[in-house]
Amino acid sequence: MTQVSKSFDKGRSYVIKDLSLNIQQGETLVLLGSSGCGKTTTLKMINRLIEPTAGTIEVDGRDIIKQDAVALRRRMGYVFQGIGLFPHMTVEQNVEVVPRLLGWPVKRRKARTDELLQLVGLPPQEFARRFPDELSGGQQQRVGVARALAADPDYLLMDEPFGALDALNRELLQQELLALKRELKKTIVFVTHDIFEALLLGDRILILHQGRLEQVGAKQEILSRPATPFVRNLFAGTARQLADVMGVT
Amino acid sequence: MGTETLTGFVSERLPELWLRTGEHLMLTGCSSGVAMLIGIPLGILLFRKTWLRNPAMGVIGILQTIPSLAMLAFLLALLHRIGALPAIIALTLYALLPIVRNTLTGLEGVSPQVMEAAKGIGMTEGQQLRMVRIPLAAPVIVAGIRTAAVVGVGIATLSAFIGAGGLGQFINRGLALSNTRLILFGAIPAALLALVIDFTIGAFEWGLRPERKRGSRGPVHAVVRSTARILPILVVLAGIFVYASGPYAQRWLTSFRAETAKIVIGTKNFTEQLILGELMAQVIEEQTDLTVKRRFNLGGTMICHGALVNGEIDLYAEYTGTGLTAILKTPPVSDPRKVLNHVRRAYGERFDASWLEPFGFNNTYAITVRSDDAEQHGWRTISDLESAAPRLRAGFTAEFSERQDGYPGLSRVYDLEFLEIRDLDPAIMYPAIVNGEVDVICAFATDGRIAAYGLMPLEDNRGFFPPYQAAPVVRVPCLAAHPEIEKALSLLGGMLDNAAMQRLNFEVDGEGMRPADVARKFLEDKVKNRRPHQRKHPAKSSGGGGHWPVLSGSPCIETPAPGRTST
Repeated sequence: MTQVSKSFDKGRSYVIKDLSLNIQQGETLVLLGSSGCGKTTTLKMINRLIEPTAGTIEVDGRDIIKQDAVALRRRMGYVFQGIGLFPHMTVEQNVEVVPRLLGWPVKRRKARTDELLQLVGLPPQEFARRFPDELSGGQQQRVGVARALAADPDYLLMDEPFGALDALNRELLQQELLALKRELKKTIVFVTHDIFEALLLGDRILILHQGRLEQVGAKQEILSRPATPFVRNLFAGTARQLADVMGVT
Repeated sequence: MGTETLTGFVSERLPELWLRTGEHLMLTGCSSGVAMLIGIPLGILLFRKTWLRNPAMGVIGILQTIPSLAMLAFLLALLHRIGALPAIIALTLYALLPIVRNTLTGLEGVSPQVMEAAKGIGMTEGQQLRMVRIPLAAPVIVAGIRTAAVVGVGIATLSAFIGAGGLGQFINRGLALSNTRLILFGAIPAALLALVIDFTIGAFEWGLRPERKRGSRGPVHAVVRSTARILPILVVLAGIFVYASGPYAQRWLTSFRAETAKIVIGTKNFTEQLILGELMAQVIEEQTDLTVKRRFNLGGTMICHGALVNGEIDLYAEYTGTGLTAILKTPPVSDPRKVLNHVRRAYGERFDASWLEPFGFNNTYAITVRSDDAEQHGWRTISDLESAAPRLRAGFTAEFSERQDGYPGLSRVYDLEFLEIRDLDPAIMYPAIVNGEVDVICAFATDGRIAAYGLMPLEDNRGFFPPYQAAPVVRVPCLAAHPEIEKALSLLGGMLDNAAMQRLNFEVDGEGMRPADVARKFLEDKVKNRRPHQRKHPAKSSGGGGHWPVLSGSPCIETPAPGRTST
């Protein structure tokens, strides 16, 4: 990603300004920042849900503007912030939707769906024929992850997937994702505003503030050598809060 | 109707009910179907082409505000034909709005989050629409179709006015004959039909809805659900069956007459016309080998005339004064002979239609008041009304309010400025004056209700109203192909004077007899009275037991052609 900028108001203000970054094959990169810092916009630019105003983005060494948007998206699993399951389709149909678009034969689709539902902890014989509104929030998000993985994409884009869950479920899913990550070895771009989630899941963490890159690096590097005052305050503030809570108890 | 038992009434009309229900289903089904085929794609198109949305919805909305009868009349004028086609087009136009609007609303209402997900996982535009947006909008779209179909059943009753048949025909006939039972005989099945269609589409929607509660799945439940899903198909098939079999049911009603050439007889929508139509039909049926198709109750003069000119009916009874002023747009003339000669010549030249011998009576308009009012104020002539007019409320038929030989002309010859003029249906006009809701009406001189309701026609002392002698008007090609029609109809020439016509009208309007029975009784009585003279065509006697045999060839009553008959 080179010198990427995005403005929604014809250049008067920028949501993302001159962002350059390089994502390694197989790593999990977490985009961390507060609401409105441009992290979701950055994620959506990767699969062309949003087109950048300036700069270029390359995937597998090719400019994505020159690639077919639909084909590009099918190569990237996407887990949406608001889950975004199709309410008129069963769990099974939701999971197999991308393989269906890719024209997989029924048998292969069925086998893959069962495998994935097993993987995310939803036994297919119990869950395959249910509709999304018959599931709890955590179960729905598991389906969302299964759907993103269905066509075995090389890249996984996750937009605050656990944001709407309660603490217990969130932790459970975070642990499951860690396990999945080790097993599947995908390149994952993960958006969150939760510092602990970022520290837990990220191989590298990228901190965004008001559309600008503050720092990118492995967690030890960021914690030990914060590049900007913003980054230092971010972690120091969190540590202080934590200490306060500990002190009280 | 006091003369018939309810069961007799219903059982006698069942085959026709079958026929009319079939026609009604056909009208509603075709129009809803066409509206769906146009409306859903149009809704999708409007969803994608935002700039088209407002103009298109505006046009469709305006179509919806056109009163149904005006729309039918307009299409009639545009297509130059009566029957099912203009009716289906009108119904389709009405069905369009709910379908297009619901399609658009449904498509717009799909959550943007879900749509972003559809795009984000790599669906093309078309796939997003087909796999996500349309399925999610479907319940709203189906609800629009449901509204359209149910409203369509209601509006379809009006298409009987332009000869498209359907259950409205009973309602129409009932209105023309002031027969509540007949009105209900059309209205109740129409209401039931609307309920059935509403239920069918509702059940279909329920059947399509995804199953939620896993606990309630059982074999019976599954059968009910799959039945609900195919219910619309079953109803459509049933409708097609009813429609296709209708004419057979109808033929069964009219006994098994040998299939020969068909003469189509039309009438306007009031009692006298129905009786005259029946008289002409029965004479032709008895005197010739021709079969008669009755397309009665076609509405007003212009509809009948248009149908005759287009060859959709072969003949109907018209009034000389009406032909002169309303059709030929000629200033009124008061000499009956001159009028008849004029319309004869002009119809032959312009419409290829022929006026046969008049029936004898003169059904002129009669400005009519309540007898006790007339007595109290000493009203005898229309001129007597001039000073009182500003205090009087008038109730006129819509036709009378418009026609040159009606109120516009009348108010030039007489100084009449009424307090208020209301357009009333002929059937409602008489009860309205009897109940004191209006004070003056434009009665017809031959209307039996004038005498029966204690009304008083005022004398046309300035000779404004042209004569309205009724006579059969027949298409010349039809006469050429079946010259026997003229001979048969000539039997009716001069047979009915004003008093006779008043009596027949009252038998229907006042005593609740059916026009067909009144006509049959009249013809039988005439035959009895004439027995001694009628031995001219004994060989042609074909009427079986109970039917009236042959009438004499030339009527002995010469058309009297009296000036103006005030009753």
